[in-house]
Amino acid sequence: MAALPEEPAEVVVKPDPDGGVPPQPQPPPAPPPAAPPTTAPAEGEAAAGAPGSGGEAAPPKPAPPGPAASPAPTDRQTLLAVLQFLRRNNLHESEDILRREARLLGEEVAAAALSPAGPGAQGTPGGVAAGASAAPGGAAVVAPPPGKVGGGVPVEDQPDVSAVLSAYKQQGDPALYEEYYSGLKHFIECALDCHRAELSQLFYPLFVHMYLELVYNQHENEAKSFFEKFHGDQECYYQDDLRVLSSLTKKEHMKGNETMLDFRTSKFVLRISRDSYQLLKRHLQEKQNNQIWNIVQEHLYIDIFDGMPRSKQQIDAMVGSLAGEAKREANKAKVFFGLLKEPEIEVPLDDEDEEGENEEGKPKKKKPKRESMGSKSKKQDPNAPPQTRIPLPELKDSDKLDKIMNMKEATKRVRLGPECLPSICFYTFLNAYQGLTAVDVTDDSSMIVGGFADSTVRVWSVTPKKLRSVKSAADLSLIDKESDDVLERIMDEKTASELKILYGHSGPVYGTSFSPDRNYLLSCSEDGTVRLWSLQTFTCLVGYKGHNYPVWDTQFSPYGYYFVSGGHDRVARLWATDHYQPLRIFAGHLADVTCTRFHPNSNYIATGSADRTVRLWDVLNGNCVRIFTGHKGPIHSLAFSPNGRFLATGATDGRVLLWDIGHGLMVGELKGHTDTVYALRFSRDGEILASGSMDNTVRLWDAVKVFEDLETDDFTTATGHINLPENSQDLLLGTYMTKSTPVIHLHFTRRNLLLASGAYSPQ
Amino acid sequence: MEQSKMASPKSAPKDAQVMAQILKDMGITEYEPRVINQMLEFAYRYVTTILEDAKIYSSHAKKSSVDADDVRLAIQCRTDQSFTSPPPRDFLLDIARQKNQTPLPLIKPYSGPRLPPDRYCLTAPNYRLKSLQKKVSSSAGRITVPRLSVGAVSSRPSTPTLGTPSAQTVAVSTKVGTPVSLTGQRFTVQIPSSQTTVKSATPTTPTVQNVLINPSLIGSKNILITTNMISQNAASEANPLKRKHEDDDDYDNL
Repeated sequence: MAALPEEPAEVVVKPDPDGGVPPQPQPPPAPPPAAPPTTAPAEGEAAAGAPGSGGEAAPPKPAPPGPAASPAPTDRQTLLAVLQFLRRNNLHESEDILRREARLLGEEVAAAALSPAGPGAQGTPGGVAAGASAAPGGAAVVAPPPGKVGGGVPVEDQPDVSAVLSAYKQQGDPALYEEYYSGLKHFIECALDCHRAELSQLFYPLFVHMYLELVYNQHENEAKSFFEKFHGDQECYYQDDLRVLSSLTKKEHMKGNETMLDFRTSKFVLRISRDSYQLLKRHLQEKQNNQIWNIVQEHLYIDIFDGMPRSKQQIDAMVGSLAGEAKREANKAKVFFGLLKEPEIEVPLDDEDEEGENEEGKPKKKKPKRESMGSKSKKQDPNAPPQTRIPLPELKDSDKLDKIMNMKEATKRVRLGPECLPSICFYTFLNAYQGLTAVDVTDDSSMIVGGFADSTVRVWSVTPKKLRSVKSAADLSLIDKESDDVLERIMDEKTASELKILYGHSGPVYGTSFSPDRNYLLSCSEDGTVRLWSLQTFTCLVGYKGHNYPVWDTQFSPYGYYFVSGGHDRVARLWATDHYQPLRIFAGHLADVTCTRFHPNSNYIATGSADRTVRLWDVLNGNCVRIFTGHKGPIHSLAFSPNGRFLATGATDGRVLLWDIGHGLMVGELKGHTDTVYALRFSRDGEILASGSMDNTVRLWDAVKVFEDLETDDFTTATGHINLPENSQDLLLGTYMTKSTPVIHLHFTRRNLLLASGAYSPQ
Repeated sequence: MEQSKMASPKSAPKDAQVMAQILKDMGITEYEPRVINQMLEFAYRYVTTILEDAKIYSSHAKKSSVDADDVRLAIQCRTDQSFTSPPPRDFLLDIARQKNQTPLPLIKPYSGPRLPPDRYCLTAPNYRLKSLQKKVSSSAGRITVPRLSVGAVSSRPSTPTLGTPSAQTVAVSTKVGTPVSLTGQRFTVQIPSSQTTVKSATPTTPTVQNVLINPSLIGSKNILITTNMISQNAASEANPLKRKHEDDDDYDNL
């Protein structure tokens, strides 16, 4: 961009997608003489020139952007703008000269019946005297580009909030917004069928941005009528957003609403095929529609792909999030979705029923056996992260014992499948008075914890073994530390009970999580803290403060030590139990983070949010490696498959979506629930997916079948479009109704018995 | 909850009807009937607060009546106080970038329960035993030796054994200062020391109390979980005791 004067008085339209945006929306009343010739190198770019300075600025600038020959469409645009300006300011002579030079036809100019100059109104015709007056000054007419006051870099990373707000400068006559929109609507409706579906994606973001612009510029009445007229046309899944929008009627309302602010700073992403895009561009660059073209350039990011335009069905499956779809680059990073290798454990001699376990074929008696848990191959899985990628705690003896128990149980595990469905055992919380807000079960299914709206956390033992706390220090000194059953002796029999109540939070407890070694319990609450409780003393050990707003979910890592929490402040945080501050902050969501889960290899964290996207974050460096869009409501449940390759997500729209993490694609859609899906769990070997919902049912789905034939050819991988078969009915293996008890937690025991829980809530 | 109105629509007061309409416009179709009452109360309280503030501003500006600007200013000031919103996105991205640059810390093996430093935990006792001090000090006068005799062992109730609710009461603790021990191998006696003598204290746990000898524990071995036991000069004992009395009195007077 050549010699821009430091005070670009009026900004010229930049219909050019290279986005050479000139700053400064405000035209100074008196243009400074500074303006050197804006050479406007053959493109009607930001040739902001002081309109004049009395033309002293030397040479008759060749400026008029569309000089000579056949002006490109963009130049013509600018030219028309200049002509209009001249005409409006009664500078007919100059206008004639310019027109003659540019060899334009009069009709075109006349036809450009457009809005009056926006903030322009520079009444400074002054300098323009000199013919051919360079500096296509006063463009403001056709479409003053939204002033990007500093920092409006289309990088999601660094927007400047105040800049964003001011980015909504007046663009044209408010009264004509309805016309622009109707015009676009008409155009799209008349487009070819194959393109119509894709182009219809434009309606929603354009509608919202135009509405917000009207509100920001304080044209309340126009905004209201605009909203009234067009809000019914939008897709049904945007209705919630529109309702929020309808309550934003004044400029002041906009300032407090973080989600709306984020909506405007981040570009709405649309995926359109090249053909449709060309069609659209051609149409919008005609004069009448520059307004919309500018908004498109300013606020939308159009991810163009080569190939067939998508059908409505394909599009509907993928859209719905607050920021459009995900850019393809967002899903290209390599993700290590494999599992970490299990350590080898020496098994003590006297286990007769280990006979079948010995995979190395050594003689079974009288020799310590090596147990390698399941993976026979010694070479590294290429998709698995290196063992030391993130530091993990070492295995203690108790952990090893646990693993051995796990393996023993695994041998007695029931193989599930379409012919062999799991039995379901339901734990109903009675007399909870709608206060049950969170449930968790230990991995060995020995304890269950409930978080309640009265800020208590209650732990029950579901086995005959009661809950005991450790003895006091005085008594501990009396016991014999060398005895074999020291671990039982340290427990105080007097405190044995089936239920322990933990007090400490000062707000409803929204998330609970047991540690894998059953020593600790986490709970997160509306009071903004995450508390760590000891399950040996049943007291609170630490309160982690960091979110200053309600924390919606928390979970321990599968290896212990780390835990993740997500809350209303739109970030998820990774903590370690021995650091009082978070180790990682995962920021990027546009709305509250409602659900957080660790990947089985503890290297990645999935977060679901109220902005209707699911993101996968790398623990090592905090980067977002995957963005999954497609849900039409806030996401409330996430589940990783045991092999680490797939992710299942459930939201308020009642659908369960399945994602291939490696490729970053949606691979399945399970329809059936009629209300929010609050619980999702894969069975221990990944054959069955169980989902529990507010509609009082538990449904079982055939996970093997969903994942078995995935077409991942080059096209789908490249573009991310996949054709999902409508086979939800085939995949559904069973629906189990409860009596007025919404299901909020599911857990498969080590033997593949399904435990479900919820609170009885009669109507 | 199914929607059941307390009063039939005709006889509900106007503002209740308006509130019901607002709820409907915002898409809330199922709510308990008392929600309307609560919303009305909130609205009333909010509006009166704003108007009172506006009156103050307008009288400060020596205007004869309250006008829109006053109200606008009142709203703006209140918003910053009562309704905070989460930080803006660019700020979050910024701090995230900073935080995510540091590599994950290595984990020390075999380090027992992995908890943050004690001052960030809620594991310290949040009480101290008063009655014993009075008895002992009144009888012993300035003699502190009984407490220091080798055979006598004290322990402060060690951390997680008692299932007390765990609020930190920092106020109490900072008054008295950190405990001090004369380090025998396993005997630690804690003497309240005045604040001045603990200049060299290593990171203090402000909540650690100066629980003195619990006679019931004398004679028993105790395994103590102590973090900042510092040996201090014994010369300061007399003073701390005296101060102790004063502190007691203060407490009694409270």
